[in-house]
Amino acid sequence: MLIALSHIQRLYRSDEVETTALLDIELGIEAGEFVAIMGPSGCGKSTLLNILGTIDRPTSGSYSFGGQELTELGEAALAAFRRENLGYVFQSFNLIDELTIEENIELALIYRRMPKAERRRRVAHAMDHVGIAHRARHYPSQLSGGQQQRAAIARAIVGEPRLILADEPTGNLDTENGAQVMDILQRLNDEGATIVMVTHSPSHADLAKRRVDMLDGQVVISVRNAI
Amino acid sequence: MFATILQTVLRQVRRHPLYVGLNVFGLALGIGVFLTLTLLVRYEYSFNAALPDVDRLARVDTHWTMPGTPPGEVAGSTFRAMPFLREDFPEIEAGIRFEDTDLQTEREGVFTSFASGLTDPGFFGVFGLKLLHGVPDQALARPDGLVLSERAAIRLFGTTEAMGRTVPINRAGVTVTHTVTGVLARRMTPDFLSDIEMLAPFSSEDVTTRFCFRSWASDCGRIYLKFRRRGDIDAVNARLRDFVIRHAAGAEGDHTAFGVHPEKVYGLSLAKLDEARFRDFHVLYAEDGVDRTVINSIGLMGLLALALACANAVNLATARAGLRAREVAIRKTLGASRRVLFGQFMGEALLVAAIAGVLGLALCEILVPEVASLTGEELVVRYGLVGVVLPLIVLVCGLASGVYPALVLSGYRPAAVLAAARMPSGGRGAARLRDGLVTGQFGIAITIVICMLVINHQTDFMRTADPGYVRDGLLIGSAMPGSDLAAQRRMLDALRAVPGVVTAGFGELAPRPGTKNLGTYSYDGPAGPVNVYLLQDTVGAGYFEVYRPRLLAGRWFDIARGQDDVPSRDDMRTRMANVVVNAGAVSRFGFASPDQAIGKIIRSGGWTTRIIGVIDDVRFESPRQAIYPEIILFDTLAQRPFSEPIPAIRFQGVAEAEMARRLNRAWAGILPDVASDFSSVDARMAAYYSGDERRGRIFTLGAAAALLIACMGLYGLAAFAAARRVHEIGIRKTLGATGRQIVALLLGDFLRPVMVACLLACPVAWVVMRRWLAGFDERIALTPAHFLIAVAGAFAIAILTVLGQTFHLARAEPARALRAE
Repeated sequence: MLIALSHIQRLYRSDEVETTALLDIELGIEAGEFVAIMGPSGCGKSTLLNILGTIDRPTSGSYSFGGQELTELGEAALAAFRRENLGYVFQSFNLIDELTIEENIELALIYRRMPKAERRRRVAHAMDHVGIAHRARHYPSQLSGGQQQRAAIARAIVGEPRLILADEPTGNLDTENGAQVMDILQRLNDEGATIVMVTHSPSHADLAKRRVDMLDGQVVISVRNAI
Repeated sequence: MFATILQTVLRQVRRHPLYVGLNVFGLALGIGVFLTLTLLVRYEYSFNAALPDVDRLARVDTHWTMPGTPPGEVAGSTFRAMPFLREDFPEIEAGIRFEDTDLQTEREGVFTSFASGLTDPGFFGVFGLKLLHGVPDQALARPDGLVLSERAAIRLFGTTEAMGRTVPINRAGVTVTHTVTGVLARRMTPDFLSDIEMLAPFSSEDVTTRFCFRSWASDCGRIYLKFRRRGDIDAVNARLRDFVIRHAAGAEGDHTAFGVHPEKVYGLSLAKLDEARFRDFHVLYAEDGVDRTVINSIGLMGLLALALACANAVNLATARAGLRAREVAIRKTLGASRRVLFGQFMGEALLVAAIAGVLGLALCEILVPEVASLTGEELVVRYGLVGVVLPLIVLVCGLASGVYPALVLSGYRPAAVLAAARMPSGGRGAARLRDGLVTGQFGIAITIVICMLVINHQTDFMRTADPGYVRDGLLIGSAMPGSDLAAQRRMLDALRAVPGVVTAGFGELAPRPGTKNLGTYSYDGPAGPVNVYLLQDTVGAGYFEVYRPRLLAGRWFDIARGQDDVPSRDDMRTRMANVVVNAGAVSRFGFASPDQAIGKIIRSGGWTTRIIGVIDDVRFESPRQAIYPEIILFDTLAQRPFSEPIPAIRFQGVAEAEMARRLNRAWAGILPDVASDFSSVDARMAAYYSGDERRGRIFTLGAAAALLIACMGLYGLAAFAAARRVHEIGIRKTLGATGRQIVALLLGDFLRPVMVACLLACPVAWVVMRRWLAGFDERIALTPAHFLIAVAGAFAIAILTVLGQTFHLARAEPARALRAE
């Protein structure tokens, strides 16, 4: 088991209101799986993904990744964990406007203190992989949504992470671009990457190997897709 | 329209108190400092300007060209020239002689000193000052007449209604009763007579007996002339050389004149009073002189403070403009035209500038009395000037901070703004503008701080620099009037008997000397005679132990050796005297070392002296002034009295104030009718340093303000940038950046312009301060420390400012940051 979530709970407290985003989540994901998480808005999909990505902390419960308990790690150790193990794809791409596409992708390696030549090689490879090498020197604002999302995927895979997290990766794209992105993700999964994707699209969810449905902060169904 | 603007500004205050606060208070601080320093500069520039017919007034100055001494202009001239000037130059409408002095009133043994002037009855004809009471033409016509300033009248009588009342004035032990014949009206604009509290006519005895009224080579005051037309001053000035040749040579055997070719050593010139304030800085013994560069620098600093504040306003406004992009887009969608929006943003900027202007004026009201007490000037807020300057500043600041954002904001295309996921920040152009302004701000602030450090270091150095004698434990009295041998012996005995006194001695010179004697001495060197113009001092037994000068070669005087004692005037031509000279004299005569000077013979007139000792240079005068080469004679009081000796004592085991009280009592036992004022070297020399110290304080004030404004700007920008980069920080953290890496990234971005600012500021400060230091005879070296401290300080402040804004952000959970937009 690559990932084991046990009794994960996430509460948000404001001055007067306490909101439960996740309630007693139990979830296991094997290496090489492609999991799609579905559910209505506000059901906790993105919160779950954030916790999987360690960019948010659960209020209680345990999160084990490859046998390592993550909830006990400090801020610096979590940063190091993300560097080494995770890749992200967001709905709104989250590229840095001031950096070129090439620099945006390289950013995922910069924090690993990798030699420059090696970084360059990997960035070029990742750009080839998603088909945006010809846009390397452009800024994000000069690219279409589909191209930006492919750049974001390149950034996610350039570090060869053990887990790719995708938060509605096709949500801001038209059908054609959405299909291209799903193609890339499937190809990555075929090549061995473990992927967890949040999506609103049943057809895209069907392309995953397993589907997890959520409602009101809880996992209600977890089914394996017939492929 | 105005209601909308007001409402928007109020909403901004509620929603973004930090931004509005930084903007308004930064601008108010800049405006307040600018107004205050402008008033100070105007004060200096208006010096003498309000004297009636000032463009027709001039002072007669003397130029000495003496061997071994650089030529110099002295503010003052012999009164001997006065009748000849009136005779020779019909362009002169009126002229008076004027001597600065302290007049003392004495009541039951208590002396009160008043800054005073002795002058001629025609004083008011030349200066045209208004009298509150009395008739100008007659006020000084009576020999016992006395004109008081308002302040002096109130000090003496509690009222300005003082006409006809009598005041006993004590001069050198003789009390003469004067009658008040006039009270000066208060003047609002400063002039060289502002400090004068009493005016009295010269006594007939002064005119007939004092050397400076009779001799061309002696002066004790100044001649002021009023010309018929302004152009006359230059015309007469051009003819003064001939005047000197005609009159100052004197008849044969006249020891009050120079003999043939007086123009070779002596010259006269006219100093225009309307230019005197700054010109006098380079004139010896002109105490009102101020360095124009320093005053201009203070004005420049005010301007820079304002520029910094304006730059802040522009910076913050452009940075924040993007925040209102959506508001603009929605307003445009609802039908607002570009012109309406432009008007609204300009209106807002002007309103904010106006609020800052009012606060700045309030700050100026608070600062002006502080600056007045720092500088010792009678500075007041002049609403005539402020009324013109302030609206201009508000307009300029408002326009500067409003135009760019108003243009950019009103030009946004609504569709693009509404569709964008992120707030616009003005693009790369605006970012470059912001970086440029931060660089400029810090560059200016660092330059000012370096200058402040150097000025304060130099001022401190002047106070504490080794003056060539031991100044701690030293008290110096007033000059004893006259040449009464018995009284001088009694005085020394009385002072030596005071408990606490270790030793006492006389000298004719002391720190901040009054009268000085200079004469030309000649040494027959191997390459021919060497003439040097030497300052002469006569000292007595105990002097060496009191002042403890450093002996460089030979020996000090010995009371047991008869040859050391200065000969009586009758014996001077027949008996050689032993003398001590200072290091300056040794080098001017061309001796290779102090030891080489020992035993050498130097002559003055028919008098022969032998050098028995050399001491290090002793500084009794301003550190701006070169130390004179000096010759010292020894008087044991065996047969020859001192001329107006100044007693000095070294004390131990008693507090200074108590010691001074005891000495004043002992003095009163010998000379009850003469005021004594035993005071420390620091107190006597304070006037030499106070100007530089005051300007140092103004610089410190300005530097603090500039730095504060620059920091406010940086703080605001850091806050803005941090807010704008929340999202980016979230992405970077998601990609594995640690909090420390994020802080380093943000710091690097902010420190780059600060670093450039340092690189620009250091050379500028170096050039400016090197020029300033060149004006001192003794000065500190410009060391890297001055620069490093300022640069390190700037970096530390910048780092703290940025850290304060970004630390919490760098530590936040990335998910929260990503949700921020």
